[in-house]
Amino acid sequence: MKLDCNHIWRELSNYLDGEISPDIRRDIEAHVAQCRHCAALLDSTHNVIVLIADERRLELPVGFSARLREKLQRELATLRPD
Amino acid sequence: MRRVLSPLFFVTFRARLHLGVTVGLGFTVADLFADKKKREFELIDRILSGHHESFYDLIAPYERRVFMTAFDILQVEADAEEVAQEAFLKAFRSLRSFRREAQFSTWLLRITVNEARMRLRKRREVSLDSLSPNHEEADYTPILLADWREIPGEALLRDETRRLLSESIAALPENYREIITLRDVNGLSTAESAEILGLSQGNVKVRLLRARIMLRDLFVERLRSRTRPREATP
Repeated sequence: MKLDCNHIWRELSNYLDGEISPDIRRDIEAHVAQCRHCAALLDSTHNVIVLIADERRLELPVGFSARLREKLQRELATLRPD
Repeated sequence: MRRVLSPLFFVTFRARLHLGVTVGLGFTVADLFADKKKREFELIDRILSGHHESFYDLIAPYERRVFMTAFDILQVEADAEEVAQEAFLKAFRSLRSFRREAQFSTWLLRITVNEARMRLRKRREVSLDSLSPNHEEADYTPILLADWREIPGEALLRDETRRLLSESIAALPENYREIITLRDVNGLSTAESAEILGLSQGNVKVRLLRARIMLRDLFVERLRSRTRPREATP
């Protein structure tokens, strides 16, 4: 099936996640091979997703675990799980 | 000829652990998950029988994930820490209601997301527009890039580019930040994200698509404004 750019946009996430049938994947790749805009959309969105996954590594604030334990200790002494 | 990206190229270990993959000598990822789940259920039994100190062991692997999820939604470190503390406390208080067909981590993140949402509402920082379902149904056309190299891979390594990405995430509507945090930061599945957010899997997919494209566009705008030549001043 020949896909247009709107189809590509709708299937972008499924394509990037590999949650797509082999037929649709083939059609998308055929379109992307010919369409610079969709190629740019796929590549750039992929790059952003990879960046999020690999670089969003915020450290816990200093003392986070100690403060959490302190707060829990106070509460756990008096509370019972329902 | 232009490279066509295979979905396999996009596979990340975190998001794509295959349950049948053998990871060592004779055991699989599925075995590891089952073992972890069993240990967690044993800890929960201990806690419910009065050994409250076991709660620390139960939550230790999730401290960072809970904080990160709260931070990505709230964008303020102090608020995220308070919400994380509240989420852990709430998890303790309602531990008996935890249904064991779900993963403990999924249940804990659902509590975290709900706590963060309540905090946002208290702050009144969420516009009605960003919560409207119409937001997702509206047509949206991604910014057209002249060439994929406008977001080159090398640029992604630069510190400033990372900062621009953080700004872009902060600029997303709340519901888009949530789905990006769950799927792309925490690497949860569509089914797990749907359970946490109380959405159908179809709605999770639609929301994720919109969120990813909007995030990319916010990022592109920031990259462009950074590289745009400044006008000469008299």
